[in-house]
Amino acid sequence: MNLLLKRKPGTPSAPGVHPEPFWSYRPASDREAGDAVVSNLLLHWFPSKVYTPSLDWTYSFWLGTASAALFLLLILSGLPLLFLYVPSVERAYQSVKDIEYVVTFGWWIRAVHRIAAHLMVAVVALHLVRVFLTGAYKNGTGRGQRREWNWVLGVVMLVFTLFLSFTGYLLPWDQLAFWAVTVGTNIASSIPWIGPTTRELMIGGRTIEQATLIRFYVLHCIVLPGGLGALFAYHMWRIRKDGGLAKADREALLDVPHQTEVVPTKTYTLLGVARGTAPTITARSVEAPDLTVNAVPDLTRRTAIVVLATFALVSILASGIPSPLEEPANPLITPNPAKAPWYFLWLQEIVTVTTFRIGSFTVNGAFFGGVILPGLIVTLMTIWPWLDRSPAAAAGVWFPQSRRTQNYVFLAIALVIVVFTIIGMVMRGPYWNFYWPWEAWPEIPARI
Amino acid sequence: MTDEKKPEDAPATKRRDFLKYGIGAGVGAVAVQGAASLRSLVPNVSYDAPTTVKLGVPDEFPDGLKFLPDERLFVFREGRTFHAISAVCTHLGCTVRAEAMPAPQQATVEGKPLRLTHNFSCPCHGSRYTGDGGNVSGPAPKPLAWYHLTVSPDDGQLVVDLAREVGHDFRLTLA
Repeated sequence: MNLLLKRKPGTPSAPGVHPEPFWSYRPASDREAGDAVVSNLLLHWFPSKVYTPSLDWTYSFWLGTASAALFLLLILSGLPLLFLYVPSVERAYQSVKDIEYVVTFGWWIRAVHRIAAHLMVAVVALHLVRVFLTGAYKNGTGRGQRREWNWVLGVVMLVFTLFLSFTGYLLPWDQLAFWAVTVGTNIASSIPWIGPTTRELMIGGRTIEQATLIRFYVLHCIVLPGGLGALFAYHMWRIRKDGGLAKADREALLDVPHQTEVVPTKTYTLLGVARGTAPTITARSVEAPDLTVNAVPDLTRRTAIVVLATFALVSILASGIPSPLEEPANPLITPNPAKAPWYFLWLQEIVTVTTFRIGSFTVNGAFFGGVILPGLIVTLMTIWPWLDRSPAAAAGVWFPQSRRTQNYVFLAIALVIVVFTIIGMVMRGPYWNFYWPWEAWPEIPARI
Repeated sequence: MTDEKKPEDAPATKRRDFLKYGIGAGVGAVAVQGAASLRSLVPNVSYDAPTTVKLGVPDEFPDGLKFLPDERLFVFREGRTFHAISAVCTHLGCTVRAEAMPAPQQATVEGKPLRLTHNFSCPCHGSRYTGDGGNVSGPAPKPLAWYHLTVSPDDGQLVVDLAREVGHDFRLTLA
């Protein structure tokens, strides 16, 4: 049965001719289900059959699909904002204020864009946590698998996501934006020797000005989303090349060939027909019908549910959570406290405490905590698949015995990052002093 | 075909050469275009604020401290003696705030006497500085910069050179 048009009876059908204008939502046969994938642009990157347990809600939590849905939503909600926002120091703040207070539904579109961006950072990070904890970067039994490279792609995509969010942070040109970017770009200038030049290239001068705004704008609207889109396509292609999720491999690995029912055979020989029985040995594989379902509609249905649920959640949150817009950017007054975006607050906590002295030589905390430490974490994450020596059977399962230690260490590091983030969010007051959430901050005179 | 003395494989060699140079030229063009695109993003002209700035007539500065937000600079006056300390935190570039001390202290900094009136704190990561800009706590890796002060010969205004750091013994004493 077709979604849009039913084929008229008597219409000639031939191999390679697909009369359906869309695709068959309830395919009557495996052939029709496979045809839907082959003949449709939107579905051509799907496999025609999917290993059923790969679709489990509680294995992957569909975090990758949710990330992609958020990216799509960010592109869609970014389009109207592109028409409304003016990337100039004189007019940027006013145009965002217009979007917020003058344009019909402007506040809602901006809120959708903002909340989807925050959620995307969180969901992409959680996706990484899931892939690590299930050892899904490990290769199984298939030939030509390069799952470790897909993990590397994923780490690069996480970095792209962070930079996308960070470049978008400057665009409203308010106090929040200006000082977050001041702190962020000064981290780059703390690198010995090349630092100041690097910062000048980033912001197009020595101070954060028009050149900075237009650079961040082009990065935010063209370079980074384009790059992330290309990486996303490559990420999906590698999943297909690697034979689907690691969980599918695992089942194939654990399966043992077993004997099926004895079937009667007929053999034609020169002397006549020999009748008898023969044992047939079949290896159960991911192709086996009892383990797989057609991608259409089982995979497409769940993908649609995740994408639509993500859109719905963001839409609801956006109508309830207002987007902040502080005073216009003022290079003369630093807000007190001045905080980085939440996903960089753990780094801000670290740059605050990592200045150390060796004799008369002082290492700036910004360099250690802002460059060396995150660099080490990203490098270690990138090469981890080659350091992980656990057996192939540890892939595609939550908390296997053989990967217990590394999972605990990973979770411990993740916990430290979460705790630092929470401290930075709710327990840091003026002058970055520590205050419990229930403690009132002291009154600080606005200026000297 | 007119020149029969030419070896038969001559045209093939020419085509190979043509391809070789053609591909070379194509790759070269792509590389140069890429390099040109990147180079165009390195600014040749700076539209940043100038580093030498007139601050006003010395007599109009109050005794003690004056904060100049545009230059992110503290100018100190003690009678006829001036010095200037940067308000840019050496950690990550936020503007530090001056907090008046309960009572001025007399100190000796790099062999010269100095009256200390304020301490400095950074709102971003809590670095603290003494009255002469020395970093005492928090993540700041080095003291606040001191800048060179002169008097403009044309109109007698105080002039700071934000590109010229000086030692903590620098004083501008007017006649």
